[in-house]
Amino acid sequence: MKSVLATLAVTTALTLPSLAMARAVTLTTTLNNYGGNGAYLALYVTDAKGSYVGSLWMAGGKSKYYGHLADWYRETGGDPAQINGITGASVGAGRTLEITLDLADALFDEGYTLHVDAAVENMRDSPNEVAVALTADGAGAPVRGRRYVRSFSYGM
Amino acid sequence: MKKTLTLLVTSTALTAVIGAFAWSAVRTPAGANERSFAAIYDEGLKALPLILASTDDDDNREYRRMPGRQDGDHEDEDDDDGASGWRNPAPAGSVAPPQNGLFGNGTPPQVKVN
Repeated sequence: MKSVLATLAVTTALTLPSLAMARAVTLTTTLNNYGGNGAYLALYVTDAKGSYVGSLWMAGGKSKYYGHLADWYRETGGDPAQINGITGASVGAGRTLEITLDLADALFDEGYTLHVDAAVENMRDSPNEVAVALTADGAGAPVRGRRYVRSFSYGM
Repeated sequence: MKKTLTLLVTSTALTAVIGAFAWSAVRTPAGANERSFAAIYDEGLKALPLILASTDDDDNREYRRMPGRQDGDHEDEDDDDGASGWRNPAPAGSVAPPQNGLFGNGTPPQVKVN
């Protein structure tokens, strides 16, 4: 009995800090009514030096089109291992994509930037459509994209 | 439909070539000045450059060069011929997110489109 309690105490003690080091973050992307087909969107993070750290989400499941997400593709070479388990459907014009992810606390206020690359059939590609610094203060503040994104925000 | 047409064209072309050779062999008189079809064909073959025909399916060409289709469109298209040779990624929910240091170990990604 004592050993069970001890084990429980140890596992709880080990688990709690890890839970505290991550939080649920909702990324909300609303597209303009640009009058075209669904947009492919790559959401990824760079560090303070501008180096690619990793991807958060890919909207659009056909790897043959990833070359149109130019900045993301340059950093990853289109490697699906970067987006396995975080890939969904492309997003239609005027629609809102809402993704809730369990993200590491260390991402905020440490100089990281979240980028969105966008591409639409028959229309111009838009690398770095959105670039927003990840800070606790910036949460909830909408940012406008260059071409296809009407607003982007993250909430904690 | 295209396959059928291709087979018809191919079989017709083969028949015509074989027929022409056969006709030429039978009809050309010995010692005549006229050259046989086979001789003309051989000569022409040496002069003609080799041209490779494309096997692309023209019906899908416009679609293939475009990104941004909604999922569900063109479901019959092959999904594993990415420009870089990569396969398509595993969709959300089917495997865990990548271990890139950005994700915690908690709830899996949740997505909603309005």
